[in-house]
Amino acid sequence: MVLCLVAILLPFITAIAISEGVKFQASISVEQGADIYVTLDNYGSNAPIPLEFIERFRRLEGVVRVVPRIVGRTYFANRLSAIVGVLPENLPPGLNFIEGRVFGKRGEVIIGKALSEEFDLRRGMMFSLSQNPYITFRVVGIFEPGTTTVWSSDMILMSFKDASDFFLMEGKATDILIYTRPGYATKLAEKIQVDWAVNENSIDPPLRVQDKNLVKRYFLRGYNYKAGVFTALYTVAFALAIPSILVTSGFGLTERRREIGVLKATGWQTQEVLEMVALENLVISLTGAPLAILLSIVWLKVFNGAFIAQFFIAELGLFTRFPVPARFLPLSALLSFFFAVVLTMVGSLYSTWKTAIIPPAEAMR
Amino acid sequence: MKTVIRTENLFKYYYIGRPEEVHALNDINVEISENQSIVIHGPSGCGKTTLLSLISTIDRPTEGRVYLYDQDVSGFSDVELSRIRRKTMGFIFQNFNLLLRLSAWENVAFPLVPMGISEKERYKRGCDLLTRLGLEKRIHHTPEEMSGGEQQRVAIARALVNDPDIIIADEPTSNIDAESVQKLLNILGALDKEGKTIIVSSHDPIFNDYGDVTFHLVNGHLAHVSKKE
Repeated sequence: MVLCLVAILLPFITAIAISEGVKFQASISVEQGADIYVTLDNYGSNAPIPLEFIERFRRLEGVVRVVPRIVGRTYFANRLSAIVGVLPENLPPGLNFIEGRVFGKRGEVIIGKALSEEFDLRRGMMFSLSQNPYITFRVVGIFEPGTTTVWSSDMILMSFKDASDFFLMEGKATDILIYTRPGYATKLAEKIQVDWAVNENSIDPPLRVQDKNLVKRYFLRGYNYKAGVFTALYTVAFALAIPSILVTSGFGLTERRREIGVLKATGWQTQEVLEMVALENLVISLTGAPLAILLSIVWLKVFNGAFIAQFFIAELGLFTRFPVPARFLPLSALLSFFFAVVLTMVGSLYSTWKTAIIPPAEAMR
Repeated sequence: MKTVIRTENLFKYYYIGRPEEVHALNDINVEISENQSIVIHGPSGCGKTTLLSLISTIDRPTEGRVYLYDQDVSGFSDVELSRIRRKTMGFIFQNFNLLLRLSAWENVAFPLVPMGISEKERYKRGCDLLTRLGLEKRIHHTPEEMSGGEQQRVAIARALVNDPDIIIADEPTSNIDAESVQKLLNILGALDKEGKTIIVSSHDPIFNDYGDVTFHLVNGHLAHVSKKE
């Protein structure tokens, strides 16, 4: 029964932990990022923004730094990788190199550790990508993914110019990042949005302005949605699991029926039998839930959350090179205890009660 | 002598309304007095176990009434019947019905759990009874580690643990060897001397000379009653 319980709880606990881990990394990523992200608004979607906007944004009061960026995704062999093109001076300050240096000349790139390990890419090696095979890149550095493994493990960092050539985006950036003085972000975002949108005589295309809080909300909403879908799917599985608990707890099993019949025949009352079974189940839940959490940790550490992580992280292979992010929160532990108790109680109390209310002779027959 | 158990027009049918309907007992009227030893005799399938189940309140009659100490218990609630069994009955089942997960002393003592008796006291009583029945070396053994005769003595100890007035034994010799049968008869004799009311069902001829009264059952009917002079 404990094993049955563990088998039911294990995927759920693992999924919650991965979901929380990914959300946590998303939050860090946004926190460490810019205060405002600006793109063109193409009917509600992001569209590349001309580089002329950089100077206009620089002139706004409260702006500290304006960084154009090209972010895209492409296949490295069969692996979907992120390409980020920035000026070398705009690379994240805490970038942790395992080996090599920052790119300088044309065609030089630095790559994430997972990509390097999977394709055995070392410093000095050259490669091209099928999306634009005429451009050749040379690896000059390999970096640690740091706190945001999901996004940076498979990343290829290159100069803004190289990314622009690769994605054929001459004179444009996928987005412009604006860093502001403290307290200016929200006001500036509103100002940029209003100034460019309200001016009827403006020939400028509409802008899509997102401040840090909005980006964070989008991220979390996306992952909450995924967690919600998973929970919904799991609820169905959970409902299907109750009959299996019914079976393992003795519903219809001769031995369990006989035991209950013997208890009743020797003077136990139905309520006392139910109390004993409830206590038994509480012990099973208190054993099963921590065991499920423990095995979930093992699953994440040893198997890197295989089969579950793929649901939360797009294009993730069965076995990834980077550690899948996971967080065990007190709420998850409480939830697993709650589910364990509900599962065992609903499953076995009902079957026990059904057996206990019939004459003992019939139960033992 | 005070009447302990009385049945009135007792009927028990199984699979009612189905083609395989069985009339296990038909119009049974018996009376059992305090301190009597009773044998319910008859061939297999004549309704002995059913009659024992009804008078021990672990089953309900289809028709008729069962009186315990002149109280009609036929309409008693589940709770009331459990209480009666706990206080006054000790049942030795044909196949012993020991709980396989429990040790011998635990099997003996578990009827005491709902009475609120401490584990220490339960252990003491369990060990005392098992020692009395010659099972002092089997106290911590599970049923699977014991012979049929030993299992039966554990079942007897369980039936005695709540010091009941009425001991009911269903085919007690059917699953044990000859040596154990003799031990059983000695135990029943000792309980008889203690003043317990003992009701045994059996088709074993060894019980031909046992008991104060014998009820002869044939095809679910009480054929005749013989009393020892």
